[in-house]
Amino acid sequence: MDDRLKETLSAMMDDHADELCVRRVLSYSDQAKVREQWQRWQQIRDLMQDGALADPVRDVTRPVREAIDGQGREAPGAPVAAPRPRRHWYWSAVAMIVVGVAAGVGLGVDWQGAGSDAMVAVSGPPAATVVPEVALQGLDEQQWEHLSRYLLEHAQHNSVGAGRGALGYARLASVSGPGD
Amino acid sequence: MSVNRLHGLLRVFRGVGMAALMLLAVAPLQAADGTALSAEQWLARLAPALNMTTYRGVFVYARGDRVNTMQVAHRYHQGQVEERLVQQDGANGEIVRKGMRVVCVLPDHGHIQLDEVIPSGPFAEAFSRQLTPVNRWYQPQLQGEGRVAGHQTVVIALKAKDPHRYSYQLWLEKQTGLLVKSYVRSRTGEVLESFQFTQLEIVDQLPDSEFEVQSAGREVQKRQLDQPARSLAPRMTGWTLGWQPEGFMPAATPRAASSQAVAFSDGLAAFSVFVESVGQLAMPTGASRIGATTAYMRSLQTAGTGFLVTVVGEIPPETAMQVAESVAIEDVAVFQEGVQ
Repeated sequence: MDDRLKETLSAMMDDHADELCVRRVLSYSDQAKVREQWQRWQQIRDLMQDGALADPVRDVTRPVREAIDGQGREAPGAPVAAPRPRRHWYWSAVAMIVVGVAAGVGLGVDWQGAGSDAMVAVSGPPAATVVPEVALQGLDEQQWEHLSRYLLEHAQHNSVGAGRGALGYARLASVSGPGD
Repeated sequence: MSVNRLHGLLRVFRGVGMAALMLLAVAPLQAADGTALSAEQWLARLAPALNMTTYRGVFVYARGDRVNTMQVAHRYHQGQVEERLVQQDGANGEIVRKGMRVVCVLPDHGHIQLDEVIPSGPFAEAFSRQLTPVNRWYQPQLQGEGRVAGHQTVVIALKAKDPHRYSYQLWLEKQTGLLVKSYVRSRTGEVLESFQFTQLEIVDQLPDSEFEVQSAGREVQKRQLDQPARSLAPRMTGWTLGWQPEGFMPAATPRAASSQAVAFSDGLAAFSVFVESVGQLAMPTGASRIGATTAYMRSLQTAGTGFLVTVVGEIPPETAMQVAESVAIEDVAVFQEGVQ
């Protein structure tokens, strides 16, 4: 989804979109993506504004398309099965907000700025700040030996070496103690 | 002037000196009672308190899923710090220090080298000499009072001002300013590492016998630390570090056997960067955490040679990763010489 389409979506969300905008959005090849973006923005805005989620989530693509094509056969807004379970959106929105808070973004920021950046972080490839984790238990003996040597050297110089008194020794002993 | 008068004068001067000393000794007590001290003033007292207080007790140190208990005796005797620490769990281990001389008996890693260790300073130095930088990166705040191991304490928070470091919470014994408990906290407030006395006696003096190595004979390693502050030039040739968080200055550097290493400290937190050319050993990429300590590993290929960059320190994984990612190898040959 390109930036122009996102802008269009954003305009729609702010009620600033004209028919052309709507057509552009509807004609985008990957409708699932558009819905995903729209719904996520909507959910985030709802969560941030009043802490509640819009309910139920409906797919109105078809009625809207038909309406602007002038051939509405169904009443606009007729419930259509949501493309994915609703909880999914809830959790990704919550997760994103939690990530935002954890990263110091805070809730006070304008949702558009934070939203459009963080959005990519949730749906797209992992953001730069996502640190891959290495479980110590998963290391083989040779790897652990290698890493523990570094841990020890660090502890020696920066804990005992920095003269942190008892705490420094404790750090050292913690590394060198029974390795379990 | 007669000899007698001279003696008399000297006696007076000595008296004045004693009085001054006594005033000094009394002043903290008054302040402690008055609780008029600011967080900064308490921190300033922590440095001398760590060295000059005579005490014995038992403390618990926990990080990640590891908990260690140690018994400690500490005194300031004839102008030097003496202490003995005895590991209480697992195998026997003890550390005895007399001034600059450290004797270390640790069970599994009997080969612990203490020859480059500078066994004095901070916490001590962090809170005295380097108080300003610490203040710059951490926001000190008095958080009221508490009680640890039967002693009244004041609680001081040092809140990190940016996301590149952890925050600290310190409990200082009210009469002496001795650190009796500490927490290292993540940004979300989670306690990552804790240190706490469970039993503590603050006394006037302790007998010599409490400072003798007692498990001598087996894996004792003695190191004379005659030249403790030998220049610890960072080994950083053939590679560069593109980024480190603001406020972290080069510090005492680990002398790694087969790798190059530099260390940085902001006065409280420290991290070390190790760069090594690895032969067959393949390490995963990512961060491991033990309590407040992060080890971030990263493999790197330059001119057909594999390198392992490891950042170890009491810093958040994101910071460690950013530091590790900023390492660039400039001269492969330097490392190849080092390996042979």
